[in-house]
Amino acid sequence: MVVAVVVIAAVVGISVFTRVLPLSQPTPQVSEIRVGLVEPLSGTYAVFGNEARMAAELVIEEINSKGGIASLGGAKLKLFVEDSKSTADGARLAAEKLVNVDKVHVIIGAFISSHTLTMLDVTEPKKVVVMADALVDYLTARGFKYIVRLPPKASVHGATAVDFAVGVFQQNGMKIQRPVIVHFDGLFGEVTADGVYTRLRDLGIRPVDRIKYPTDITDMAPIIERIRQANPDVVFVVPYYADSVLFAKAVASLGLKVPLIVGAGGTGLADPDSIKASGEAAEYMINTYSYDPFLPTNYNKQLVQAFQNRYGKLPTEAAGIVFYTLWTLKEALEVSGKNYPDDPLSGDNLMKALMSLDITSGPAAETYPSGHIKLAPNGDNLYAQAVALQVQGGKPVLVYPFDKAQAKPVFPRP
Amino acid sequence: MKTYSALGAAIALAAVPFLVGLNEYYLFLVTLILLYTTIVVAWQLIGGYGGQLDLGAGAYHGLGAVVTGFLMVNYGVSGWVGLLVSGAAAAGVAFLIGYPSFRLGLKEVWYALSSLALVLILQKIFLLWTDVAGPLERYIPYAEFDPVFMRAGTKIFYYYITAALLASTFLIVSRIRRSKTGLYLISIRENEEAAEMLGVDVRRYKLQALMIYSFIAAVTGGIYASMVGFYHPTLFDSWISIQTATLAIVGGLGHLLGPPIVSIILLTVQEYLRITLGAVIIGLHQVIFGIILVVIIMFKPDGLGPLIDSLARRFPASVRR
Repeated sequence: MVVAVVVIAAVVGISVFTRVLPLSQPTPQVSEIRVGLVEPLSGTYAVFGNEARMAAELVIEEINSKGGIASLGGAKLKLFVEDSKSTADGARLAAEKLVNVDKVHVIIGAFISSHTLTMLDVTEPKKVVVMADALVDYLTARGFKYIVRLPPKASVHGATAVDFAVGVFQQNGMKIQRPVIVHFDGLFGEVTADGVYTRLRDLGIRPVDRIKYPTDITDMAPIIERIRQANPDVVFVVPYYADSVLFAKAVASLGLKVPLIVGAGGTGLADPDSIKASGEAAEYMINTYSYDPFLPTNYNKQLVQAFQNRYGKLPTEAAGIVFYTLWTLKEALEVSGKNYPDDPLSGDNLMKALMSLDITSGPAAETYPSGHIKLAPNGDNLYAQAVALQVQGGKPVLVYPFDKAQAKPVFPRP
Repeated sequence: MKTYSALGAAIALAAVPFLVGLNEYYLFLVTLILLYTTIVVAWQLIGGYGGQLDLGAGAYHGLGAVVTGFLMVNYGVSGWVGLLVSGAAAAGVAFLIGYPSFRLGLKEVWYALSSLALVLILQKIFLLWTDVAGPLERYIPYAEFDPVFMRAGTKIFYYYITAALLASTFLIVSRIRRSKTGLYLISIRENEEAAEMLGVDVRRYKLQALMIYSFIAAVTGGIYASMVGFYHPTLFDSWISIQTATLAIVGGLGHLLGPPIVSIILLTVQEYLRITLGAVIIGLHQVIFGIILVVIIMFKPDGLGPLIDSLARRFPASVRR
């Protein structure tokens, strides 16, 4: 009999719960396009998620103020933000809500690759398109149908770091002899470091050590000592945020002397948040990014200015990816509205529209490093390109690709 | 009368999915609420009756998730078998920890701290033990609907499993409470030395309570892993430990109805706050939830159990325990 009371309480609780939270209404006739954004807004990776969210709010405001989606009668984008709490199950829960309650048409997220994978379990059966801002290669290689990814994948970041280092050595009449790879032990760390390793191997260079450390590391000293033991001429490092700060500080405080330290993967080391947190230790740190804030196109300059005016910092990885991802979505919606007026927002039609794009001008191209977006059948950009930034005088500057660079990389590290 | 109540309970539990309109997201939340409530009910054995401030729930819950997930991913073993194996594994760990703890007379804050440490220790072990877990998430194969393997695309499947688990846990706990074991446990809570003088085998009953509770906590973990479709050492979550003990204390230590009712209501409030405020001002929902708990404990230091009991007493006799 006690069970009855418990259950009644449950029923009352739950029905109150659902009454306060009205179940979603049926989809209206394209008066708005619902865009979900799943990002780590709290927890370990919050620094990335919050930057992505800032970018999404800024760009969606701009798209809407410029008249929304013309081919859909000026329909506006509506943003639904969810916090993944920096956990895989948090990302999944967020996706469940966006898909089942907010009934979004597309989800951008979830920055962390393993979190993005858990979302796909929810979005694929419901045919909701995911535009990933996460980089691990096999997100697009597992046969999922409703996923696209514009930024360069993790292995490209790894290869870019190597190409940059090789180029710097060449310019100084040297060759890489003793590279060391250091990375955190999560999915993204492994895959990006594999990218570094593979490119080195293809160039016939053997790393002298590959060092893995736990994501939640609190003391970098043993890692730094092991690097010192290996006596490297270049260190390739794949960190996230907090560990990148620890790494930079440990390199400075333990006096590790290496001619070149190059990060791969766009997280930590040379973005404004890392520079602020690492202080002087950030100086001369280099990392590869999926976005070039110094791209000298009119629209990019204007957008970076608007971002800085509003949020007081330079947009880098997380914001940059959202910039061109949202503008690409806008282009796809225009196409979908024109070609599939009966059902422009269905997952299938939206995917067809995305696949048909070949963008070489407009805001999406003007914010993309290579200036060219065209998707391969697996959903990756065929013209993906990463860039490298180095901290010089407390500010990030573009040092790679060499032909676009604002400054020569400082080499060797003083 | 008793059968009517049970029947009513069954119908009510069965009806919940339809009350939330079969919406997958709400079903997911309701299932989570019932899962965590199940741990709270089971925790009564060690905490409410046995009087031990156990903070190991996150460890047993995580162990259940990892063991069940590991068997499903690596050996294709049905989740049902996984639940039993993981329950046994958790009870085994509980024995290994509980036996020396109780033998050495570890109590109060020292017991609380050592049980909380278990969560962190197991998390580290499984982060390093890459053959079983490691830092990379492991994904359980997707199945649209495979009840034998215990995997389904729809949450209603997990909802009913969880509802059944909650009901059985409630029955087990209420039966133990009325049994000799229950009385022994309560005597231990009230005065351990006196109980021992009277010939109660203190260690044995504490250990029994701990093992049953850890078994059930592990089963909730296994269901969770199967539902979200992956496992990872972060599922060893000390938040679950703290949430469990807090809800049980706010519900009223040793009360049968208070903890589950309070837990369902407060977890619902917590989820509601998270949904509405979670992405608006980060962390605000946790602050508000914390304030609610503080206010309850300020005005009702014994928790809401006595209040709920006295309300229940106004109902016809049949509703009373």
